[in-house]
Amino acid sequence: MPFNQKPHKFNAKINTVTIGSGDKTVTLGGDCTFPFYTFDAPSENSPKVGVEISDMGMEGMSAGISAYYEGATTMAEIAKKAVEMEGADFLVLSLEGGDPNGADKSVDELISVVKEVADAVDFPLVVEGCKNVEKDAELLPKVADVLQGRNVLILSEKEENYKAIGAAAGLAYNQIVGAESAVDINLAKQLNVITTQLGVKPEKIVMNIGSAAAGYGYEYVVSTMDRIKGAALSQNDAMLQMPIITPVSSETYGVKEATASEADMPEWGSQDDRAVGMEVITAAADLAAGSDAVILRHPQSVKTIAKMIKELV
Amino acid sequence: MLIDRIFNGNDTVFGLTENAVNSAVEQHGAEKAVGFPHTAYCLPCYYAVTGVKVKTLGEMQEALKVIKSLMTREPKLDDALMSGVATALCAELIEALKYLDGAQPYEEPCYGHLADSVIRELGVPLVTGDIPGVAVILGSAPTAQEGVDLIKSYQKQGILVTLVGGIIDQAKELGLKMGYNVRIVPLGYDVTSVIHVVSVAIRAALIFGNVQPGDAGALLEYTAQRVPAFVNAFKPIDDVILAAGAGAIKLGFPVISNEDENIEPVPGALIAEPDVANFNKVSLEARNIKIKITEIDIPVAFASAFEGEIIRRGDMQVEFDGSRVDCCELVQTKEMSEIEDHKIEVIGPDVDEFEVGSKHSLAYVVEVAGKKMQPDFESVIERKFHNYINCVEGVYHTGQRDMFRIRISKEAYEAGFRLRHFGEVLYAQVKNEFDAVVDKCQVKIYSNPEDCKRIRHEVAIPTFDKRDARLDSLTDESVDVYYSCILCQAFSPSHVCVITPERLGLCGAVSWLDAKATHELDPAGPCQVVTKERPIDENLGAYEDVNEAVEKFSQGALKKVTLYSIMQDPMTSCGCFECICGIEPFSNGVVIANREYAGMTPLGMTFPEMASMTGGGVQTPGFMGHGKHFISSKKFMRAEGGIERIVWMPKELKETVAERLNKTAKELYGIDNFTDMIGDETVATDPETLVAFLTEHNHPALSMEPMM
Amino acid sequence: MALNGIQIFKMTPKKNCKECGCPTCMAFSMKVAQGAMDISACPHMSQDALDALSEATAPPMKTIKIGVGENEYTLGGETVLFRHEKTFVSKTRYAVALYTDMSDEEVEAKLAEIPKVDYERIGERMHVELVYVNCGEGADAAKYTALVEKAAGLNRTLVLGCSDPEIAKAALAVCKDSKPVLNGANASNYEAMSAVATEAGVVLGVSGKDLNELYDTVAALEKAGNKNLVLDVTGETVKETFANAVLVRRAAIQDEDRTFGYPSIVNLVKIAKGDKFMQASLASLFTAKYGSIVVMEEMTYAEALALYGLRQNVFTDPQKPMKVEPGIYPINGADENSLVLTTVDFALTYFVVSGELERSGVPCNLTISDAGGLSVLTSWAAGKFSGSTIASFIQEQVEPKVKCRKLVIPGKVAVLKGDIEAKLPGWEVIVGPREAVQLVKFLKDMKA
Repeated sequence: MPFNQKPHKFNAKINTVTIGSGDKTVTLGGDCTFPFYTFDAPSENSPKVGVEISDMGMEGMSAGISAYYEGATTMAEIAKKAVEMEGADFLVLSLEGGDPNGADKSVDELISVVKEVADAVDFPLVVEGCKNVEKDAELLPKVADVLQGRNVLILSEKEENYKAIGAAAGLAYNQIVGAESAVDINLAKQLNVITTQLGVKPEKIVMNIGSAAAGYGYEYVVSTMDRIKGAALSQNDAMLQMPIITPVSSETYGVKEATASEADMPEWGSQDDRAVGMEVITAAADLAAGSDAVILRHPQSVKTIAKMIKELV
Repeated sequence: MLIDRIFNGNDTVFGLTENAVNSAVEQHGAEKAVGFPHTAYCLPCYYAVTGVKVKTLGEMQEALKVIKSLMTREPKLDDALMSGVATALCAELIEALKYLDGAQPYEEPCYGHLADSVIRELGVPLVTGDIPGVAVILGSAPTAQEGVDLIKSYQKQGILVTLVGGIIDQAKELGLKMGYNVRIVPLGYDVTSVIHVVSVAIRAALIFGNVQPGDAGALLEYTAQRVPAFVNAFKPIDDVILAAGAGAIKLGFPVISNEDENIEPVPGALIAEPDVANFNKVSLEARNIKIKITEIDIPVAFASAFEGEIIRRGDMQVEFDGSRVDCCELVQTKEMSEIEDHKIEVIGPDVDEFEVGSKHSLAYVVEVAGKKMQPDFESVIERKFHNYINCVEGVYHTGQRDMFRIRISKEAYEAGFRLRHFGEVLYAQVKNEFDAVVDKCQVKIYSNPEDCKRIRHEVAIPTFDKRDARLDSLTDESVDVYYSCILCQAFSPSHVCVITPERLGLCGAVSWLDAKATHELDPAGPCQVVTKERPIDENLGAYEDVNEAVEKFSQGALKKVTLYSIMQDPMTSCGCFECICGIEPFSNGVVIANREYAGMTPLGMTFPEMASMTGGGVQTPGFMGHGKHFISSKKFMRAEGGIERIVWMPKELKETVAERLNKTAKELYGIDNFTDMIGDETVATDPETLVAFLTEHNHPALSMEPMM
Repeated sequence: MALNGIQIFKMTPKKNCKECGCPTCMAFSMKVAQGAMDISACPHMSQDALDALSEATAPPMKTIKIGVGENEYTLGGETVLFRHEKTFVSKTRYAVALYTDMSDEEVEAKLAEIPKVDYERIGERMHVELVYVNCGEGADAAKYTALVEKAAGLNRTLVLGCSDPEIAKAALAVCKDSKPVLNGANASNYEAMSAVATEAGVVLGVSGKDLNELYDTVAALEKAGNKNLVLDVTGETVKETFANAVLVRRAAIQDEDRTFGYPSIVNLVKIAKGDKFMQASLASLFTAKYGSIVVMEEMTYAEALALYGLRQNVFTDPQKPMKVEPGIYPINGADENSLVLTTVDFALTYFVVSGELERSGVPCNLTISDAGGLSVLTSWAAGKFSGSTIASFIQEQVEPKVKCRKLVIPGKVAVLKGDIEAKLPGWEVIVGPREAVQLVKFLKDMKA
């Protein structure tokens, strides 16, 4: 008696959201199964990989990343190299230098970086703020303004500043709104609810439900994503059907396993290898739990994860 | 009368417009292009209302016919308001003609037409509330000073002020700095230039509200609900201004005027206020604009970092001690008209008059009013006072109601902290945190012992008693809705609490009133309304709508619960329950264990063992987590016979709930001193000894129907 | 359909004889319902009741034990598909592969590399638990047995990848006492392989060219009485392997098809040979989705630090947060004069706080008291992180070892400042920031 494979089909699907303009676009979401369950239904659109560059240039980047960008000195040059990376689907510009507790760059200075990068490449673009809610509330609406027509994803609004960023990105300047919450299905849903109440259309929202590096409370990420996908598909919960984007590198390059130098931890071996290991292992787990896009930095990671996705769908 | 005047004004403007358009056609030809610079919406107002883009003079003539069709003349308010809209559309045509051939009809300081980019930029702070409102000031103020004071009062609140007519010259006369960057925008001198601010509101609806051009209903709804604009029109108000005002009213913008002749007020829409000094207050109230308070006006810091500060006797300037003298803190709901927002009164001597280290009476009453305020929220607001006052640097607060103690440190006193500052803190915090329900707030601070005594005994204590009585009288049957609570889902994903008046959250922390207030304050938040209109079995507490809610909020993990049974679909627990009750088959009753109890129960299980089975949103028939308070509820496992089933509790818990439990037992069954019949760990920790004890005390559970 | 405790209780003798080890029949029934005890522990159950109950309470997925002593591991026994529903009970175990076609130097290098990864993280030893020894085509019993013996020298539990019953028998002769897995049964050899495995008393790994063949082979093995199995779900491609792993687990747990109710083996060497980062990614994927044993070419710190961390996170009770040991954690070379900071023992809090403190470069002593593994505000609300708990911890644990008398408390419990000061004479209590990310700036400002 052969194996009786029972299909598990859902009558709901994840929204599709297209980023970018002209013939350079990328679409997130669209599937109606748990991630990579192609045996339940063929995948309509595979998860995507973004390459992250930072306004801080090569500062703090691991050796393999710096080597890849060798010779690129301006942000425009870095951006051009980034989009050529094997496996890259979209470009992510992080404006981490705006953090008032960090480099505290001015909004004007950051906007000029944004313009430089946007002018240099016609690739689908995602812009990340500096994570400080007050600064982002000031910075990201300006980003949305200067990138009018590019249909970029703005990461992210949070509950504390969703009005300023959501209204600017989603209403005034017609961009895609990234809605970021702290690893909790109800917070994610609540932010989507209030963002749509603001007038932003659900199909213009991408969720960042929060992330962590593997080993750092990652169980919450798994369970939150599992539950969001479950509710979106089996409960047909329209307020949880937005595709999920997960910034991986900003988490993994913040833990000592990835950043401690070989001189400090000789027994751990190559720092660059550890950085890639942490990045791909975290990214693969994100994708397995339901991310529709991941954001990475290292060329080796981008290549590996893009290949893994290709082989799975 | 009013209506006739509006019709008349409308006719006048229409006549002017018709002439202007016709003569422009004569001069330039019907093909001549018209429009405003830097907008993708042609003549935005006309386009938004009709869905038609006007691009030439010839099309303007067509537009006039459409406008004429709006000008119906039934003597009804609606016709009058529609004529107001027609007047506005005419004004737009007249203004557009000024821009023929790329002309620049406006010069410093006037702006005239505003570009789309300004609206996109302006829209965001309007949506976030950073610009809480838009004022349209029209005409000349009685004096230049009064006009400028009014402008400044709005500017201080962050409101965008637009100026039309004589007020512009009055502002210039007093050297007021104007310009878009300081949020004071002079539009123009002609009354028709008011259309440029209307155009802003209308384009905001198109851009931010996704309103489809031509969908006039959606447009008016958006401007009425989302664009917090209002008009201040100075006398004299002629028919033309009145007609334009009718247009504003139709968009949802109230008109406030000091005109007193030939005019009749329309409540909420056309408001007469003779004193220009009151325009600000009246306008904000009419448009329901709330101003965020960003800084609290006190001479010391205010931050949660000071919450844990303790002021020792030696460092203390004065103290107020409710346990020794008369003190009280109170929130009272009032009518809107009874409250002057941000009024703070100190009645009695201030701290300066007290000796260092002395003890005094203090009573502060925070009076609030709001369209959505309910007396049930008073205690919720009041409970935050402890936290608010503690956050003040150098001030310390413990206790509540009439049993609080406050100390002010010498340092805070020297920095200038006085009684009035309590009012500033309470005012600011209540307005900020409870802005969903509190529209206006004023504070009275009493420091005379006689006043305090009177307020305490004649006002506060009766209020507290009334509230307690209300809480006691609240039953599951006496309310229309229950609330869900999913605060714990972060770690217990499938759990949903259904909170009813007689059954507070199992953590013991969220009562039905709390849940209700949480819902009002944060409508998309963790507490949602659960209706109970479709009962399945009222004795079990099973309702179709409750089941639907539970399924929805648990994302399908839980299909049904009963409110009053522990055997059939009992309510689930997150894990933060204060107590767990579990069926004890040998005595035909239930055993209750509380979290603090570390020993064995007659079930053969400890609290942690019972907890491991009941937490995590799992339904375990025979076991249920709950709050301590619920033990004495008449709804406690009512389906199985109620509290009569309780056969064992840890001694400490039994003592805590004894008074209330005995009262319920007496009421329900006529049993005196019921708790004496209930076993505890000093009597038995195994079923056999327990049954012997229960038999000896003739516990009612032994003779009840078997539970399973 | 699982039975609840009350339903089970009704079938018990209700004598409270305590012979099962539980004080009452009720307690016993509840434990059986939870899966924490087996119904057979009750000596007084009637046969009818036992029959009815053992069927209803049998787990959907078997629990399989491999290895001995400190190298014994439990595989399978899962009851849910998603960790938020209930704890995943058996961790994914990673195996490093040795091949008969490797040169001696390669083998020696691998044998030297494997023990290098061995460290502790939150109370758990992290090391390569399994070694997969693969018998390539053309290798004979002597060659394979020699390799198995070398691998056995590492003192790790072995998985023998060998589908020749004779060679397998020879290899098992030298290692069966350590209870390895024999992975090599398929549709054509299962009878002989099963006999070899059963005789040696080891778990048998079964594979098939597709799920149908695997299913039939397992059914045949079960019929023959061997239920001590693991299923090698590795297919030709990554996609097929993932589908197999998910379908097998889902059939067992969701559809209660007990034939597939066994743990799995996923061999990444077969589907991603030579690509170590792809193997790392796939190891992560199969840790999340249903690999019981995952075979890889290497396990260095580049893979281990992230992978073991991930596993430690995923295989936890969704209702119980991870905890760290209370104590003093010196950071950035702190000594007894360095600043003291305190927070709770919730692992996530500890990691975030210690990470930020490290980033600050300021030497300081992070002190962790027992707060029930809860976050700052939760433990504060539960009374487990209060003025008294902090003060007594500082007095008992910190004062004897640290001379500094400045204590930074989390900003979220600023309310405790006065209370702690009152209870800790001689200490200056400083309210720190509310969020860990503000610590770097806070310490910088404090120094200034």
